Amino acid sequence: MTALLETRGVWQRFSGLIANSDISISVERGEIVGLIGPNGAGKSTLFNLIAGVLPPTQGSILFDGEDVTALKAAQRCQRGIARTFQVVKSFETMSVIDNVIVGALVRTTVMREARRKAHEVLEFAGLGARANALAAELIPSEKRRLEVARALATEPKLLLLDEVLTGLTPIEAQAGVELVRRARASGVTVLMVEHVMEIVMPLVDRAIVLDLGKVLVEGKPAEVVRDSRVISAYLGDRHAVGA
Amino acid sequence: MDTSFAKARRRDLIVAACLAAIAALVPLFVRDVYVQNIMVLTLMYAALSQSWNILSGYCGQISLGHALYFGLGAYSTALLFTKFGVLPWFGMLGGGLISACIAMALGYPCFRLRGHYFVIATIVIAEITLLLFQNWDWAGAALGIDIPVRRDSWLYFQFTRSKLPFFYFALALAVVAWLVTWWLQDSKWGYWWRAVKDNPDAAESLGVVVFNSKMGAAAVSAFLTAVGGGFYAQFVSYIDPESVMGFQFSLLMALPAVLGGIGTLWGPMLGAVILIPLTELTRSFIGGTGRGVDLIVYGTLIVLISLARPEGLVGLFSRRARETVR
Repeated sequence: MTALLETRGVWQRFSGLIANSDISISVERGEIVGLIGPNGAGKSTLFNLIAGVLPPTQGSILFDGEDVTALKAAQRCQRGIARTFQVVKSFETMSVIDNVIVGALVRTTVMREARRKAHEVLEFAGLGARANALAAELIPSEKRRLEVARALATEPKLLLLDEVLTGLTPIEAQAGVELVRRARASGVTVLMVEHVMEIVMPLVDRAIVLDLGKVLVEGKPAEVVRDSRVISAYLGDRHAVGA
Repeated sequence: MDTSFAKARRRDLIVAACLAAIAALVPLFVRDVYVQNIMVLTLMYAALSQSWNILSGYCGQISLGHALYFGLGAYSTALLFTKFGVLPWFGMLGGGLISACIAMALGYPCFRLRGHYFVIATIVIAEITLLLFQNWDWAGAALGIDIPVRRDSWLYFQFTRSKLPFFYFALALAVVAWLVTWWLQDSKWGYWWRAVKDNPDAAESLGVVVFNSKMGAAAVSAFLTAVGGGFYAQFVSYIDPESVMGFQFSLLMALPAVLGGIGTLWGPMLGAVILIPLTELTRSFIGGTGRGVDLIVYGTLIVLISLARPEGLVGLFSRRARETVR
């Protein structure tokens, strides 16, 4: 069986700046993969290329055995790729439940069905009690949950999480980790961008470290955190053990 | 939770039915032609503002060029009748379809514009069309078109002796525009539009094709606006470019919705009921020299509203309703 997601030799240039160079990664079904790296490593760019926000300058993206390189974000969502945003983008004037209904409408146009699905997802994400609040009234950690709930309502095969755990208190982050685990248990594959290593490492099955637009290291979290190249990328050369 | 939602939807429907029934009875007690005239205009603008609200309120694409579709509806109806003998009913329908097509043709380039640029484009396009019509000899140029009187009948949709038929048609129009909004509000389109308004990037990521959503809203909005234009042509029986395509119409369609509550089901109705009689009354009290005073009056009103209740007058009702729901 082919990988759920595969990027083949993906490049992204922004007028002279090379944000991603020749990136080939793959994500298997049922995995939780962490995409990490220091600031400016090209994580967000790669993330946006996979989500379909912009087309890669070169290379191709395969999802579920299909070449989706030419597809826009909305079409990729219909294929089963859902995402959250690093800076939350709730529909502020809409209620929490209505936010989630928008996601659910990808799979059904029957309103009753979409509403039922949305309530179900809200319960799953622990936001059931806030269903009728305005999205604008939520506190930041709830907004993150809403982002995840909205994405899950589209019934994705692949969930892309862009720094959903960053900036949360340890307790909130732990609850977030639980949510990601439960999402995976329900059959969703997860690719998450984070740069707080200590939160993601216990969660992910595999980590891909980007640095300066390239894949630096790829492997089990325990191996990755000890890798001297990763340490030097994050902390500078003199911290690298035995480098 | 689902039941409370369904209940609220049904309550809206019942309230609307009651209001429409009461409105239908009003002319039995109000015989004054001047007042009847104001009532016709109020209902017409309620319908127009409701149509405007679909594109600009729900979908968030602020148009200040809806006079274009109003004018196209009026001209289609008048021209089809005077030149080809097509009954106004088909004229209104034809005008609606033409306007919907033109709205989509214009939307194709314009919906790539964001924010202020879109608003400016709508104003400019409406003004250009106005100039074209002022110089289009076949369509009567600046002199306009006088719709020839056949006889008072529903067939020709002409009534010279009574305003009542127009009143009931305008009422029907307002009811239809409201019902269309009511229905769309709880459809995938309604949700897509609000999502597009609030955050197009997030909407796109959730599978909403933003561009198509805007096109859909523009088509529905333009269609209904043009039907209103066709009605207006029959109502006044004489049209010229300035009197159906002038910028003030674009404003008069937007203002009731803004005053009442933009992007809400009841806002345009509420706004029109307050604004249009006010406009007409200030106009007649101040007389011919007071051109523009009506605009000053509701300019002031809107400033006050936006300071006190930025979400519009419906906020007075819904705020309380929201609190009782919780």
